[in-house]
Amino acid sequence: MYGWIWRHLPGNAWVRALIALVLALAVVYGLFQYVFPWAEPLLPFNDVTVDGQ
Amino acid sequence: MSVRLIVRILSEICVTIGAVIVLFAAYTLFWTGVVAEDAADGAVVRLRQEWARLPAATRPGAPAAPSVPAAPSVPSVPSVPSAVPPPPVPSVPAVPDHPPRTGKPYESGRPFAIMYIPRFGADWAWPVLEGTDPGTLRKGLGHYAGTARLGATGNFSVAGHRRTHGDPFRDFPRLRPGDAVVLGDGTTWFTYRIRNEPYRTVPGDVGVVDAVPVKSGFGGPGRYLTLTTCDPEWGSSHRLVVWARLDAEQPVTRGEPAAFHS
Repeated sequence: MYGWIWRHLPGNAWVRALIALVLALAVVYGLFQYVFPWAEPLLPFNDVTVDGQ
Repeated sequence: MSVRLIVRILSEICVTIGAVIVLFAAYTLFWTGVVAEDAADGAVVRLRQEWARLPAATRPGAPAAPSVPAAPSVPSVPSVPSAVPPPPVPSVPAVPDHPPRTGKPYESGRPFAIMYIPRFGADWAWPVLEGTDPGTLRKGLGHYAGTARLGATGNFSVAGHRRTHGDPFRDFPRLRPGDAVVLGDGTTWFTYRIRNEPYRTVPGDVGVVDAVPVKSGFGGPGRYLTLTTCDPEWGSSHRLVVWARLDAEQPVTRGEPAAFHS
């Protein structure tokens, strides 16, 4: 999987490393900005109200 | 497809899942706190700037409005002698009704007051926002929509996170009868006094935010406050609740309430 990505990145090793880093940061940003805020209310320590549900 | 390739793909997937779990833990334990404290501090600063811009003459109820005695419909609220103001100077026409009950409705998701609980530390200050949905509680404490307005007759009920999102109510179990809960809305300081040790109940016990909660021991209608959070600390099987009664109120023009210095 990662080997396949590496082989398909353009440029020499340095350029590939840079692109890979940017891709990894983009994934982390997407997780923190969109995926985790969605997943977090599914965890138990978010329920602080009385609501009868 | 060789066995080697399958093993490699499987292990890469496992490593990826592990990394995502570690990131999620970092997000929950650390990043939500950063975001919440940033949002709360911003809201507190903005509210204070907004309130500082209010010219004194247009502040509803200041400085001529009588403070504690202005609640003839609430005979059960005990007036503290020190909180009774001198006779108002009739320089500004008195506001007919009590300001907290005549203000415009709270806007959903917007902060409208700042809460201080000296028991949690002198620098503990969190904004109170309207509503209790998860997006609102990420930015501060949430006022149960449909419960009384701040300082009004009824039960002003507020929920807050105990863990994650800045841990505003982390020390909730340390609250004791007599502790002060101070709220400011820019015109008036409200000092509530807690009545009970934290009461543990189940999530469906919606009666705790009733106008006169049955289990609170309050005899009749009055100006009450309820705080709720989760219990146990990292769980959601139960809720912790404290009730408080309005003890003193004074216009901001008369300085900070005594509860800050006791």
